[in-house]
Amino acid sequence: MTQLNLDFSLNYKAFNFTINQTINLTGITGVFGHSGSGKSTLLRAIAGLEQGITGSIVFHEKTLIDTTKNLCEKPERRNISLVFQDSRLFPHLTVRDNVKYAAKRCVSSQLNITDILKLTELDKLADANVCELSSGQKQRVALARAILTEPKLLLLDEPLSALDQTSKTKLLNLIVKVQQQLDLPILYVSHSVDELQQVCDNMLILSQGKVINYGNIHHAIHQLNFLSARLPNEQLIHQQTSLSLPIASTDNGQGLMVLTLTEQKILLPRLQGKFIKNQHLRCFILASDISICLSEPQNSTIVNHLSGKISAIESSTSDKSTHSVLVTVICSEQEFFVHISTYSQQKLALIINQPVYLQFKAGAVRTYLY
Amino acid sequence: MPSPDLLALAVTLKMAALTTVILLLIGTPLAWYLAKMTSRFKVIIEAIVALPLVLPPTVLGFYLLIAFSPQHLPGEIWQQVTGQQLAFSFSAIVIGSVLYSLPFVVQPLQKAFEQLGDSLLEAGAMLGAGTIDRFFTIVLPLTKASFITAASLGFAHTVGEFGVILMIGGNIPGETRVLSIALFDHVEAFDYAKAHILAISLLIGSMILLASVYLLNLPSRKERE
Repeated sequence: MTQLNLDFSLNYKAFNFTINQTINLTGITGVFGHSGSGKSTLLRAIAGLEQGITGSIVFHEKTLIDTTKNLCEKPERRNISLVFQDSRLFPHLTVRDNVKYAAKRCVSSQLNITDILKLTELDKLADANVCELSSGQKQRVALARAILTEPKLLLLDEPLSALDQTSKTKLLNLIVKVQQQLDLPILYVSHSVDELQQVCDNMLILSQGKVINYGNIHHAIHQLNFLSARLPNEQLIHQQTSLSLPIASTDNGQGLMVLTLTEQKILLPRLQGKFIKNQHLRCFILASDISICLSEPQNSTIVNHLSGKISAIESSTSDKSTHSVLVTVICSEQEFFVHISTYSQQKLALIINQPVYLQFKAGAVRTYLY
Repeated sequence: MPSPDLLALAVTLKMAALTTVILLLIGTPLAWYLAKMTSRFKVIIEAIVALPLVLPPTVLGFYLLIAFSPQHLPGEIWQQVTGQQLAFSFSAIVIGSVLYSLPFVVQPLQKAFEQLGDSLLEAGAMLGAGTIDRFFTIVLPLTKASFITAASLGFAHTVGEFGVILMIGGNIPGETRVLSIALFDHVEAFDYAKAHILAISLLIGSMILLASVYLLNLPSRKERE
């Protein structure tokens, strides 16, 4: 497995960044954090664009920088490509020539320009002036260009941030397609957990220039839930349950898709797109969209009822004035997160290990991609 | 034997062309360095480069004359290496012109490099292009208009030079006698007919050159809007 060993620090006047972390590069690894958390700095440091690093970065047993040995590989020789938030296409070149610029400088040249233009759906725009393209098209050119350098690692710095929702979905699907077809490890920086939840296998969470969590995407998101509960003023994320479940049926005949949760079922509105039975679907349910009942609800329009047991009740430690708690409920070995008021908690006298029922509407089961 | 005025024209063009080439070779790295420089010494170097804009040419010419004389180190070294005196030679007026026209080349280039910024160069590096590669494939095509402006201004300003050349070049036909000096000679000799021909030629020539430069910069201005 390709590994990226990061052990360095960077000091600016008002910002310090320190990291000591090994990242296993399989599929897409997300890097999450708010602005000023150091996400872009991390990518730029790996790419070799950040000056003033102290420490080392080793990628796939190749030392990119090691200040103790006075060693620093130039950015153009690292075999790593970076797609910037603002595309940075060369305005004096056409789409094709922008893409060719990368291909010409690629040593191995396994990939074909025409194939990549087709993969990124740019074949019809090949002779267009890059200044005439939409933001979404520009980012696709930037992606095609980066792919054609045939990097060993692709870095994406908030590639969707300037796009509208339709273009976001399209590009995100394309990124997944590229990752799978070329088997290319990707580090994906974003401040949107929703984007990362859809495509990443693992996630690194940064806050104020430090790593606060790294691991499986669902687990990392759930850790963020606890952190948000403890630090409600930080507004880290919308607390949520992050799921990846097999599809039992793409359409139950009444416009609903059915997911399997061991012996229980979760229903959600049928999704556009090609799905097959048993394929895993990534979805999330906001903690504020789930409610708790002590007995199984009957005669309700709410279609999803899951039985489970409370495993934790988390309230803010720093801010005693908040009147809500985060309840963790285990249903069929899956953690679910429920955000309720302390008033409700006391009214139902909820305690740990108590059996409860969760209920949520089909529409509360969300996906970002479809 | 060509007429003295044609000879002066030939010397002028040779001097201006050579000066422009040297200016581009020296001015480009200097402008690049200034554009990227963050240290406080930047303002001092910028002031030195801009000095010929405000200094009377005779001041520059006076100090160069002293430096170029065999009694002083630069002139002495030159004489030892080439076997010839530096003051009152063609080489002297080229060196003088390079210093005198430096801001006209460095300033437009520095401004262009600053405007270009680092973002596209970083993108180039991410696509595998090295420093020299990036200069020729990104910087040069995107700052082409500024290079043409810089070269034209450097050339035109050198053609129009008078004071510095008078001080360090003397008035040697075929060597240091340039058009502006020839014009001065005609006026001194009350030969206004010949003076008129040189004056109007210089005026029209400079006008055409500058108009071409502004014409060339016109489309790029529109693009920016």
